[in-house]
Amino acid sequence: MAMLNEFTTPLYNQLIAEFEKSGADTSGDILDIRKNAFELFKAKGFPTTKEEDWKFTSLKPFLNDDYSFNAADLDADSLNTVIAQSLVPDLDAYYLVVLNGVIQPELSVLPAKDQVTLQSLHNNEAVAFNGFKNIGDNAMVALNTAFFKGGYYLEVSKNTVLDKPVQIINIYTAKENILFQPRNVVVVNQHAQAELIETTVVLKESALLFVNSVSQLIVKENAQLKQYKVQNNDTNNRIVSYNHINQERSSRYDNFTFCLPGAELIRNNLEVTLNGSATETHLLGLYLVGDHQLTDNHTLIHHKFPNCDSNEIYKGVLLKNGKAVFNGKVFVEREAQKTNAFQQNNNLLLSNNATVFAKPQLEIYADDVKCSHGCTVGQFDPESLFYLRSRGISEESSRKLLVEAFMFDVTEKIEHDALKEYVQSLIYAKMENSFLSVV
Amino acid sequence: MLSIKNLHANIEGKEILKGINLEVNAGEVHAIMGPNGSGKSSLASVLAGRENYEVTEGEVWLDGKNVLDMKPEERAREGVFLAFQYPVEIPGVSNINFLRTALSEIRTHRNLPALSAKEFLKLTKEKQQLVEFEAKLANRSLNQGFSGGEKKRNEVFQLAMLDPKLSILDETDSGLDIDALRIVSNGINKLRSADNAFVLITHYQRLLEYIVPDFVHVLYNGQIVRSGTKELALELEEKGYDWLKELHDNESINK
Repeated sequence: MAMLNEFTTPLYNQLIAEFEKSGADTSGDILDIRKNAFELFKAKGFPTTKEEDWKFTSLKPFLNDDYSFNAADLDADSLNTVIAQSLVPDLDAYYLVVLNGVIQPELSVLPAKDQVTLQSLHNNEAVAFNGFKNIGDNAMVALNTAFFKGGYYLEVSKNTVLDKPVQIINIYTAKENILFQPRNVVVVNQHAQAELIETTVVLKESALLFVNSVSQLIVKENAQLKQYKVQNNDTNNRIVSYNHINQERSSRYDNFTFCLPGAELIRNNLEVTLNGSATETHLLGLYLVGDHQLTDNHTLIHHKFPNCDSNEIYKGVLLKNGKAVFNGKVFVEREAQKTNAFQQNNNLLLSNNATVFAKPQLEIYADDVKCSHGCTVGQFDPESLFYLRSRGISEESSRKLLVEAFMFDVTEKIEHDALKEYVQSLIYAKMENSFLSVV
Repeated sequence: MLSIKNLHANIEGKEILKGINLEVNAGEVHAIMGPNGSGKSSLASVLAGRENYEVTEGEVWLDGKNVLDMKPEERAREGVFLAFQYPVEIPGVSNINFLRTALSEIRTHRNLPALSAKEFLKLTKEKQQLVEFEAKLANRSLNQGFSGGEKKRNEVFQLAMLDPKLSILDETDSGLDIDALRIVSNGINKLRSADNAFVLITHYQRLLEYIVPDFVHVLYNGQIVRSGTKELALELEEKGYDWLKELHDNESINK
């Protein structure tokens, strides 16, 4: 059992004890699923850098702390204040409040009940796993499956076109180090259209927060889903997320992921399975990585049927001792003829100490496809910088303009001006003082 | 207005400017001519503050202020404008946003009130008309999709917007056809006043038929080897640069 040493971290041992104590609480269909998932996690342990998918991202430094599994309480007044502060300014939107993984319908403003069904996932575990039986051998997903509590199940009714986006406000509270494992399911039924904007607030007293979240989304025939994810975290946050999307025939899915400087660890897995022909998929990402932070985006687009289009643009800006990983896999099966798959990843290093690992990965088994990928790593163009400065624009503002320009391919595609404004203001607030010359 | 004294500058350890002396007064237009590699564009770059040049000796003063102590943006705010020989395309930076930022920083420095959006647009329109620059600027990235001629005209338009004291035009005429040259020249002539000055860097006498200079200087091997009036440009056109090169190499002319 020598290999056990690799992952028998304090947290691993704690989790084993916790499951044995309370994990078997649930009953019914879910019990076996949880047990199996737990056994898988127990056998595999936390991922290590020996695994190809985790080669550049070591979880080890983040597993040595003790974590609690229970959230802190929050009084109603504070909660209302937090909600008010979390809304995207000037955006006309519905909103769903989720406190420590538990939905708060009475504090939310939601579309009419015939348009959207909202339930706690806790009571609908069988629903939750319907169509997601095959979770593969991902240890972090298995861990979530074994332990998740609460979570939401959100279903958009057939033919419903939501008139406004839905902002999902995730609020976490912690008084001590805490591990959260939220689980969510979104179903957009035939011919329906919806937009989700996910934001997160963490209220804590200098405690560590580890979030291991799993989301499963189904976009049914001719349906459209746009998902915006704003990851605006604090230093003490460690985020591992797994987002799986199933797209059915003629559906469209757009994902925007904004990783702002803050969390010491962000690891996103975004996987899209194209389970029908004539689908359209857009994955757009921005990652801004601050000092001693690690942001890792793993994406996978799985083309299984003919005539599907996928388009991916991920752009990274790295500061100081920041480290980023981009791994973009596009898998085109033999049956998936007439596939158009484009991928682009650009990185702007604002410091000599920043590091980026970029790995475009195209696996193509069909012979009549258009697929391409491009990847760049660079610094500011000195000529552009001089041009702006020669017009009276300060060095700092010039750098800011050039960073804005670099991100433009992604930001221009945000449809709501208020949301665009919000994301950009967060970026600039977080990057304040980062535009000065770094030697 | 501009006073250059014994200016020496290196790039990558190689001496390019070897003692330039030049006085430019308000209201004047100076042309600087010279063969390729004589240091014309280097002089423009050093005056604007391009960072890969190292000034090893000499002084540059603009209305009593030490230009060499200033960052490029400070020079611009004090009224130095360089029209680039090769204007840069910057995808993602909008023309309008760029101009607004530049103008607002310059106006702040000059203690002028900020322009409202309406005033800014009005000014943009006026100056576009003045320099006959019809290109659509809204929703377009800086210089992106502009032809070579449009880029040069955009430089003159920016000059009109920012209203500098001293404009240095680095081969603004190169790559322009005769119509574009006339338009650019007309624009510059309209911008000339008793309060500003122009330094035209050019390889050809052609430009000087449209913008008549008060003085012509010939730069060769990092030094001004001859200065005169517009007739000097005609003489050069006739005799070519070899004539001056020979004179200089034989006699080592010093001003």
